[in-house]
Amino acid sequence: MAANTDQKTLAYINMYGVLGGLVALCDTVPEARKILGRSGCSVGFAVRGGPQATLTFVGGRCILKEGTEDAAIRIPFSSPEKFNGMIDGTVKPIPSKGFTKISFLLGKFQKLTDLLETYLRPTEEQLEDETFLRQSTTIMFRVIVSAVAQIANHDKVGQFSASNIVDGAIRMEIAGLAKAALIAKDHELTYSQKVPKNIMSYMQFADVKTARDLFDGKINSVAAVGDGLVRIGGMISQIDNVNRILSRVELYLR
Amino acid sequence: MAREVYTYPKSRELFNRAEKVIPSGVYGHLGPAEGCFIPIEAYPLFGDRAKGSYIWDADGHRFIDYMCAYGPNILGYNDPDVDEAARKQREKGDCMTSPSPVMIDFAELLVDTVASADWAFFAKNGNDVTTLAVMAARAYTHRKKIVFFKGYYHGISAWTQKIDYAGVIEEDVANNLYLDWNDPDALDRVFDENKDEIAAVIAQPYMHGNFKDNELPAEGFWKKLRKLCTDNSTVLVVDDVRAGFRLDIAGSDHYFGFEADLICFCKALANGYNVSALCGKDFLKNTISSMSYTGSYWLSAVPFAAGIACIEKMKRLDCPRILIEKGEKLRRELIKKATDYGFDLHVSGIPSLFYLRIANDESLMLHQEWIAECVRRGIFFTNHHNHFVNASLTDEDIAETVAVAEEAFAIVQARHA
Repeated sequence: MAANTDQKTLAYINMYGVLGGLVALCDTVPEARKILGRSGCSVGFAVRGGPQATLTFVGGRCILKEGTEDAAIRIPFSSPEKFNGMIDGTVKPIPSKGFTKISFLLGKFQKLTDLLETYLRPTEEQLEDETFLRQSTTIMFRVIVSAVAQIANHDKVGQFSASNIVDGAIRMEIAGLAKAALIAKDHELTYSQKVPKNIMSYMQFADVKTARDLFDGKINSVAAVGDGLVRIGGMISQIDNVNRILSRVELYLR
Repeated sequence: MAREVYTYPKSRELFNRAEKVIPSGVYGHLGPAEGCFIPIEAYPLFGDRAKGSYIWDADGHRFIDYMCAYGPNILGYNDPDVDEAARKQREKGDCMTSPSPVMIDFAELLVDTVASADWAFFAKNGNDVTTLAVMAARAYTHRKKIVFFKGYYHGISAWTQKIDYAGVIEEDVANNLYLDWNDPDALDRVFDENKDEIAAVIAQPYMHGNFKDNELPAEGFWKKLRKLCTDNSTVLVVDDVRAGFRLDIAGSDHYFGFEADLICFCKALANGYNVSALCGKDFLKNTISSMSYTGSYWLSAVPFAAGIACIEKMKRLDCPRILIEKGEKLRRELIKKATDYGFDLHVSGIPSLFYLRIANDESLMLHQEWIAECVRRGIFFTNHHNHFVNASLTDEDIAETVAVAEEAFAIVQARHA
């Protein structure tokens, strides 16, 4: 891992950002809904000393909720490291509950995570397709903004940045494509797909290309402000600190 | 008749050139990101010339400038007396192998002017002398920890930055302790919890941070802090880089009725000529002498000559008093116009260094709109930072400022009707 990062924060990012990307995938990519079909199931991930959450697949959609009590399939992990190992493919998950539903885990769930990887780690060729570019960028945007909230709440340096964020909603947006909010309350951030009417600040990327180039590290957000490609407004101290947390996302998701 | 609304095609052209060869085009506080140019289209990106209270941008637009180059312009841009002193010294010599005696003249003048000063040490930027102050405190006390007040700005060296800043490592800031301004209990606590470990407390004379109303010291706050530092053998450093000479010619510590052990000056020290100074108490003079601390241009003579002319003129004019009076007049009139249009304009801090905020909207978006409309019409305010008054600002300039502010209030009011 990169210096000054930790396994617990990575586990929260993997849970709410990466696996949370399945929610964005099902919202955005028709193929994902096709894989799911009409059947439903839920998979809970219980990480000792880390996140506990359940992905519920129903009606072609995916919902992420805290806790694993209601999960049809429950997969326990003895530590954040083990859970992170599952995400990077070095640890094989073994369910403790839901053996009769194991076919969902090995079938549809596996197909969905493979599809998610395609959209999170696309090739240059795939990105030449405008539809794919928009879908991939939307999913990445949601994963990254979710990761910002987790870093703010769990990472030592992120917590310092969050300690300087005043309460209120921060709108993150790719103009014409995607938006989400980070709700700051008592120096903790919560990701929200719904953007409240009253916001304290905003950060808007001008278009898909700008967002993509920022995600890929081809342009810098400070420089992009000067070009008008990144628009900021409102309580800039919020944006300043969110931007510092944003710069840590790549340390965890490189 | 409505005023001309500025656009900036030449600025944009220059910026496009700049960003090819300069990181982010214009970096730092003069740049569009740190300078909070919201929206960017409202602001000039490059300047062409300056005189008195005015700057002209690359597109030829004139602005009444309330940023004063973020502080250095205190007498008026291109002040004839300061420029003449600089010109005369330049003819004799500037950057030389041996320093000019004008350095002694400047140090003597500072010692005579600044109430808490027994000596003066010269450098170039505010950061040079805040860093020297902290290093000197550590050298003198043989301690590591430094107390800061949240919302501070003391420069750009790693020790002044924070753990989440690019390029800063944990060890750079491991000995930094952060307190809330005007919290006397926190002062007691930090000295109790760090007995014999605090080398220095560094503070601006009052809290003139960004994005919120500036906050003067509470009654007794400085007195308590001074006593705690004395009782604990901790060095009290006043960072007067921004406020220096706009509150009190004898130093902002003098204005608030106490004496710093070390006090840092830059910005207004020489009306834009490049020099900074650390002044201090006699007991720290030997410590400073023992330190390895210098720079290629630190003893150049032209800024010293300019600094002498600047301080002498500030004294003749009773500069802090007239700046505060001008700032107070502007404050009153801006608030009156704001009220006429239903805006709750807060003008905080010392009037010579005033901070503006429309408080109807806590997100500051309304405020940013109003500031942008002022800038587009030739009044250079910022939406995030305190402003600066200079001695050349006339009543006519203030009247023009208020007229533009009124037009901008009307536009923002109509937009949100």
